[in-house]
Amino acid sequence: MPVDPELLEILACPNCKTPVTLVKNNTALKCATCKRVYPIKDDIPVMLIDEATIED
Amino acid sequence: MALFDLRQTQETDEVIGTDAATRALSVTAVENDFVAGVYENLASWYDYFFGPTLHAGRLQAIQRMGIRPGERVLEVGVGTGINASLYPRDCIVTGIDLSDSMLEKARERVWRKGLTNVRLLEMDAADLRFRDASFDIVYAPYLISVVPDPVAVVREMCRVCRPGGRVIVLNHFRSPNPILASIERAISPLTVHIGFKSDLDLPAFLAQADLKPVSIEKVNVPRLWSLVTCLKE
Repeated sequence: MPVDPELLEILACPNCKTPVTLVKNNTALKCATCKRVYPIKDDIPVMLIDEATIED
Repeated sequence: MALFDLRQTQETDEVIGTDAATRALSVTAVENDFVAGVYENLASWYDYFFGPTLHAGRLQAIQRMGIRPGERVLEVGVGTGINASLYPRDCIVTGIDLSDSMLEKARERVWRKGLTNVRLLEMDAADLRFRDASFDIVYAPYLISVVPDPVAVVREMCRVCRPGGRVIVLNHFRSPNPILASIERAISPLTVHIGFKSDLDLPAFLAQADLKPVSIEKVNVPRLWSLVTCLKE
């Protein structure tokens, strides 16, 4: 179970600590505040600022 | 021993010493990049080397958690996922680690064993990306002597644990025996290359992290490791 609704409920952006949402056909997590996109690699969300990209 | 027995153990009585709140926890300092590098190399043989040796402690920790159906467990430093199949299938396990090589091993194991109650994330133990009070049990197995700042990690563990939840640390700490302790201090700069500091100071760790354990048990053979169980207030 990579990213289920309960996990989404408790996850926060590493940068601004606000909620994240699934994007890109459930292959990444995005913070609406700072626009950072955190990749999900092999079902493992990588919640590291260094690994994120900023996408509008 | 009953879960959360409030008796004073011999070890907790040792939480004395006038400088416990300020003294260094170890003679060895490490950075996240160094630790990640060590564990990238360890990933392929960790289970062979540390698997059987440290297994009794893992089993005792799971037993001590007293996990109830539906409880949310966070394992900080999930590594190769060696604990994953030890949890009851009716709890929800979230495992985090900083090493993607170790996480890849964990992912393979979770898939191989068909563990649908386990999810994995890559993040820094000292900077957990969960909201406050997200878990019933927060557990760090054989992690705290690896990280650059053990106190920062355990503070984060307490933050994401709900009030009344359990914060559990399983680790090797420096022996109270002065001869053993001096050996552990001397070899710490070497053991860090195989993944742990051998001289972590338990009384100083407890004092600086403001942890008040409800039990401290010696585990594994030889009994050089401690299972520290705390209740989040």
